[in-house]
Amino acid sequence: MGFKVLIVEDSRTSREFIAAAVEAVPGIEAVTTSSGFEALRLLPRHRFDLIITDINMPDINGLELINFVKKNPNYRDTPLFIITTEGREQDRDRGMALGAAEYLVKPFQPASLEGLVRRYLKLA
Amino acid sequence: MNQGGKALSEFVAEATEILDTLNKDLLTLDERRGQEVDPELVNGIFRAAHSLKGLAGLFGQDRIARLAHGMEDLLDRLRLGKLVLDDTALDSLVEALDVLQALLVDASRGETSTAQSARVEALVEGFSRLGAPAAPGEEDPLDRLELDPQVRAVFTEYEEHRLRENVRRGVSLWRVRADFDLSDFDKGLAELNSRLKPVGEIISTLPSAQPSSASGIAFDLIFGSKVTGPELAKAVEGTLAQLAPLALRPPGRGSAPAKARPPAPVAPAALPAPEAPAALARTAASAPAAPSEPRAPSTRRAGSRKGKASRAAPPPEPEPEVEVPPPARAVPSVRAAQGVPETPPPELMAEAGSTGPRVDFDTSLRSLTQTVRVDIRRLDGLMNTVGELLLIKANLQRMVEGARQEGTLVLSKAWVQELGRETRQLERKLDALQSGLLEARMVPVGQVFDKLARLVRRIAREAGKEIDFISSGGEVELDKLIVEELSDPLMHIIRNALDHGVESPQVRVAAGKPRRAIVSLRAEQKGNHVVIEVSDDGSGIDEHRVREVALQKALITEAQAAEMSRRELLNLIFLPGFSTARSVSELSGRGVGLDVVKNNISNLSGLIDVWSERGRGTAFHLTLPLTLAIIRALVVGVSGRTYAVPLNSVLEILAVQPKDIRTVERREVLDLRGQTLPLTRLARMFGLPERPIPRSFVVVVGLAQERMGIAVDELFGQQDIVTKPLGGRLQAVRGISGATDLGNRRTVLVLDVAALMEEGIGPERRWA
Amino acid sequence: MSRFSELLDDFFYRPDEDVGGLLDFAAGTDELLPLTPEEIPEEYLAFILEGECYAVPIRTVREIGRVPPLTEIPRAEPFLLGVMNLRGDVIPVYDLKLRLRLTDKAPLVAGPDAPPPPRSARILVAHTEEGPAGVWVDAVKDVVRLKPSMLEAAPPGLGGERDCVAGIGRRSSQLYILLDLQQALA
Repeated sequence: MGFKVLIVEDSRTSREFIAAAVEAVPGIEAVTTSSGFEALRLLPRHRFDLIITDINMPDINGLELINFVKKNPNYRDTPLFIITTEGREQDRDRGMALGAAEYLVKPFQPASLEGLVRRYLKLA
Repeated sequence: MNQGGKALSEFVAEATEILDTLNKDLLTLDERRGQEVDPELVNGIFRAAHSLKGLAGLFGQDRIARLAHGMEDLLDRLRLGKLVLDDTALDSLVEALDVLQALLVDASRGETSTAQSARVEALVEGFSRLGAPAAPGEEDPLDRLELDPQVRAVFTEYEEHRLRENVRRGVSLWRVRADFDLSDFDKGLAELNSRLKPVGEIISTLPSAQPSSASGIAFDLIFGSKVTGPELAKAVEGTLAQLAPLALRPPGRGSAPAKARPPAPVAPAALPAPEAPAALARTAASAPAAPSEPRAPSTRRAGSRKGKASRAAPPPEPEPEVEVPPPARAVPSVRAAQGVPETPPPELMAEAGSTGPRVDFDTSLRSLTQTVRVDIRRLDGLMNTVGELLLIKANLQRMVEGARQEGTLVLSKAWVQELGRETRQLERKLDALQSGLLEARMVPVGQVFDKLARLVRRIAREAGKEIDFISSGGEVELDKLIVEELSDPLMHIIRNALDHGVESPQVRVAAGKPRRAIVSLRAEQKGNHVVIEVSDDGSGIDEHRVREVALQKALITEAQAAEMSRRELLNLIFLPGFSTARSVSELSGRGVGLDVVKNNISNLSGLIDVWSERGRGTAFHLTLPLTLAIIRALVVGVSGRTYAVPLNSVLEILAVQPKDIRTVERREVLDLRGQTLPLTRLARMFGLPERPIPRSFVVVVGLAQERMGIAVDELFGQQDIVTKPLGGRLQAVRGISGATDLGNRRTVLVLDVAALMEEGIGPERRWA
Repeated sequence: MSRFSELLDDFFYRPDEDVGGLLDFAAGTDELLPLTPEEIPEEYLAFILEGECYAVPIRTVREIGRVPPLTEIPRAEPFLLGVMNLRGDVIPVYDLKLRLRLTDKAPLVAGPDAPPPPRSARILVAHTEEGPAGVWVDAVKDVVRLKPSMLEAAPPGLGGERDCVAGIGRRSSQLYILLDLQQALA
């Protein structure tokens, strides 16, 4: 049985980059979406093993998504990573305070994401 | 091509999109010079710069990243009110856009011109000098706002700033709560937004972590209103929105910082209007006396437990499981609340919580099961079991019917009635089980769309085409199996579109078309079916060429060709052995033609259709059932054989006498309320011995725009069936989509309505 | 170009559609096993078709059962008798008599007009590359062990227009026509 990772990121290229980095780990299926709304809809439909979200998104912001995930007993145990960029430290800190497990600052190396993914999914 | 070429063009493509947005928004901003700045517009521009920075960073485009970063900083200060947008700032933003465009051209050529580097440095330098930090206020106005720190923690810096701005200006703030169904909440929210936007500013949209039900979702909108409460109430009239004011303490008095304030169980601001507590109290008081049906499905469990508890121990006391909800959620908001009343006693709150659909989340949540990941084959197995249960149920029903008719010699009438009731109960539970299982199989079709988008860009690059790929309706859900089976046919159609449909940029420009072609993928649910459209604005299909090839390959005769309409000619491309590609291209020439695509779609009980106009483009329409697992079927008899017809394609059933059937051009037709309906006798089509019968039945079937009547001898009623494929050796039996078991150990074939219609109306006879 | 972009290229260009060759290779490894088992007998299932004795290697047979109700497939070639329900799976049932030119008309065994099947008739469910397939036999005779030395090549002209006769087995005076079911059902 594979793992499912939800990737919420409104930049298409970044989304694919993240998906590619995550799917480089064998057995992982990335489910991607550009919208927080869509993410809300996907959450009850899948059992995600990991969520990776951007903070700046057009419909709901990533913090709201983190809050939603972390307050909901169905999802709160799912590790969640924030993708952020330099200069957005306040939003990043709030995300971490809301219960995100890790953050990655763009640009980051695919290997570092891969490493985190392996660690959180307890894959060698 | 250099090493990074492919990834680079990914970057260039998206960066171009971002710059287009930036360009448009900056233009709007420019046009409105001197007017009050729309915060949403500035935030949009900020977001674009922010995205560009992240993207450029990812691709090692340092100069673009650096300039975008400078812009982002400036815009951040603008949107956070630390800087006023003046002409200097606006001009430098516009100039930065110019430079970004030049840099992108450089990047796409793999060049680095020093002139641009100098401009970047100058601009970034200029940005940092613009504006002075805003004077720190005596007091943060937000601290005066009665807002749960938990809610505040979710705001981004920008949202917080907007909230602050609204407070500073004395705008009244509201919490607008609305419950939606998970399946279409974005529509509901869009509707609500469109009502709210004219009367104020939506500062934040917070999805509530406490679902109102398993299939629902609640949102809190923090809203700064320019109008009064009643006016606002009027604006949202007819929506499900509920309003609650966010109270503000007067400035300078008792303003402890929000973080330092102990979390009060119920923030006064979050309380209902004066008339509400009375209503809640009434409900609470009546609860023990009338442990009635719960009001909303979401509260069924909690509600019914509450009912029992209350019966056991009146007067009402707080149920141990019903906690006082945390302040952020304890908002039994009411329509057009106007005042800030006293806090009702906590137990009243708890009662209110357990009776209303909104507040007892914690209770109902605890009873929700945790999600698990399931192998689709297990679901198939369960589905088969459900199928067998349905058979047993059908047998039981037959027995009940039999007992009813045969009289009550052995069984008492009451006993038979009781059995009938229990059987109906079983039926309802089975229905619920079945729809639950079906729902568990549904996945958004967007999963395939995302993969296809990736493919499109890759193929476009390889073929030297410039494409904008648009997809919509990714949220439409289909059975997982169908979604999986869809990717191959869709991929093939899209390959065809890119390879043969879309022209090269030069050809397009020469033809007076935009340089970039559009390929779009759209999904839409229509009743029991999902329609997926793949379209391009390319060169279209030349039906004369199609005709030529079909004749040349002897797929049709001259006589047939002479009678065919344009649409009929176009549909010839689905015939086996047809391929108009003059040279086998690397992209599409993988030895499979559109006939395979058509077969794939047929195997999913779907229909494929093509539309094309020369010079304008091509569109393929795929009509697919929502699920294949369990379907309701009409069981019919023909020449002593039994077949099942999926009910989702049955429109109506007619009883006809031989005289009702007329012949037009040697084809049988039926007059259906003034419309001519093509008629197919199933016995004749299947080569079964036809039996003379005084009266036959016509099952009117329809898919997409097509209609056809299928004449059968007998009707045996409806039944839920689990369709099984005929298996590897019998994959493509014309007119049959699978087999099912009706409970008497006899296998019954399930008709493939799409294929029968195809055959009955005929590719050369399809209605245009 | 930055090093990063090169990395990205690897990610964007996963050859996710080109795994076919790999699978072929994996499936073909059986061929490498040694092929020289001397005098190791193999078990065959012998059965009767129109009075003739045929046999197939028993490892190709999944099970044997009485003839269940068969559902005819409209417009199928006469060689396909119909489908049957085998514990929830729908499997096709074939007639070999036409293929082997033992008759010139397919027997009527499915549909409402079919007579009840003869008591001795059985359906033999065989493993084929395309999944399980049923084969009508008039009767099952027995299981025989045939050593390689008991096998000989089929005389030309046997087994209809197809090469579905793999050879002849001879055990004392009894002759067994050895069928290649995969070929016969192709």
